[in-house]
Amino acid sequence: MIDSGARAAPWDMMAVAMARLLHSGETVFHGVASPLPMVAILLATHLHAPDLTYLNITGAIDAEPERLPESTVDPALLHRTRALVTLADLFDLSARGRLDVAFLSGVQIDAEGRINLSAIGSYQHPTVRLPGGAGSAMLMPTARRVILWRTKHDPRTFVERLDFVTAAGNVDRVVTPLGIFARHDHRLEVESLHPGVTPDAFREATGFAVAVGPETPVTSTPTVEELMVLRAIDPGGVVRSEFA
Amino acid sequence: MSDKRATLAEAVATVPDGARIAVGGNTLHRGPGAAVHEIVRQGKHGLEIVKTAGAYDVDLLCAAGCVAAVSAGFVGYETPFGMAPAYREAVESGVVEAREHACATVIAGLRAAIQGVPFMPVAGLGGSDLPAARGFQAVADPYSEATVYVVPALTPDVAILHVQEADAAGNGRIIGTRFEDVLMAQAARRVILTAERITDGAAFAEAPESVAIPSFLVDTVVAAPNGAWPFSCTPHYGYDAAYLGAWLAAARDPDAAREFIADQILAPAAVSA
Repeated sequence: MIDSGARAAPWDMMAVAMARLLHSGETVFHGVASPLPMVAILLATHLHAPDLTYLNITGAIDAEPERLPESTVDPALLHRTRALVTLADLFDLSARGRLDVAFLSGVQIDAEGRINLSAIGSYQHPTVRLPGGAGSAMLMPTARRVILWRTKHDPRTFVERLDFVTAAGNVDRVVTPLGIFARHDHRLEVESLHPGVTPDAFREATGFAVAVGPETPVTSTPTVEELMVLRAIDPGGVVRSEFA
Repeated sequence: MSDKRATLAEAVATVPDGARIAVGGNTLHRGPGAAVHEIVRQGKHGLEIVKTAGAYDVDLLCAAGCVAAVSAGFVGYETPFGMAPAYREAVESGVVEAREHACATVIAGLRAAIQGVPFMPVAGLGGSDLPAARGFQAVADPYSEATVYVVPALTPDVAILHVQEADAAGNGRIIGTRFEDVLMAQAARRVILTAERITDGAAFAEAPESVAIPSFLVDTVVAAPNGAWPFSCTPHYGYDAAYLGAWLAAARDPDAAREFIADQILAPAAVSA
């Protein structure tokens, strides 16, 4: 049963919060390893942004997947697309300033909203070689708005200093299981805390200084409609996969 | 039209040690799995792998000691499986050089090769440590006050691509997303095409626009049914999650990875060529 009075699961809260950031008429892209953005984009198109253009790394345009895959390069994401472009075409779209929103993430994120997806420790001799930033170094400065998401919110993720700057650029919001940052003047500021998250908990989970207190707004709880549409789009719960 | 058919073993035998190979597909999808396994069986070494986003291909070839460098924007199995453990180990121990790219700079490097120019401008990259780490230079626009990053041409010695259908001359049809396969075919000095099935190309004339890779770019064609496995090959099969899970369980430990490779790939009864 869907009960909006109960506290939403973190994945539902994140997907809904990310969807609310999208607007009708925007071109919106997600790349590899992006289940939450995939769900959030589809959710937005079924709720308040029917004229959003959904682009993904498969080259599909406004696909209506029958089942949501965990791999976000899966051919399932081609379903019902009426045209097919290439990843190079999508990068070019961003390069010429015509991509409105790109969803990106980071293993480390700093107070400026810069990300590290390259290496922990020394870059040349890393303690942990990370997967790499995929499209981010090019997309982050060229997409009009970048929405970062990260399912871990702890001091090792939100750090004072990145071990390596994989990408920097037009970050607009950062959505986590604890709340939402908005970037103003190149600095992440707490926009809202998700329901049930205390200012102290948020502060302790963040490795750089944040202004947060009793006056900090609370993210609106997902509505019954948002959750019903989310379940209809994603009956298998792919939205949970990044929390495994 | 010449008949370019060869066995998988014959085709892969033409790849020299130390070659820069572009590997088709993307993460878990339509990689040339059979050719990758044959590279392992033939014990190639010193390879540089070029790909925007690799997974099992890069990981396995690193575990098998075939790789000197990886030029890629992303190496990982995405959310179903996470990071590539053998690639990680190989880079962290200094055996393999991570020539990190943004996916767009891989494409820009391939485009420079395709267009016969030494480098290619690419938008973005500002604020990233990547240009300094990789030696990507910013140059002045000769026509304005602007500067732009340029990446050097990335010319693969061989592109190895798996397609759903090809003819004996090497015309290759791709169903669904083409990924960077067409760019790789254009940029590479030589192209090896493996195909789910080889058909009479006369039928291709009815819809030549469905041919992604034209024969004149292709040197060798290999009939490789199930040849993307364990990658997906739409609409024929999805990626093999059970196999990839078993590989990943082994790949976290170099000894277990070697044992897995010996049992599953090198053993005569394993993966048929």
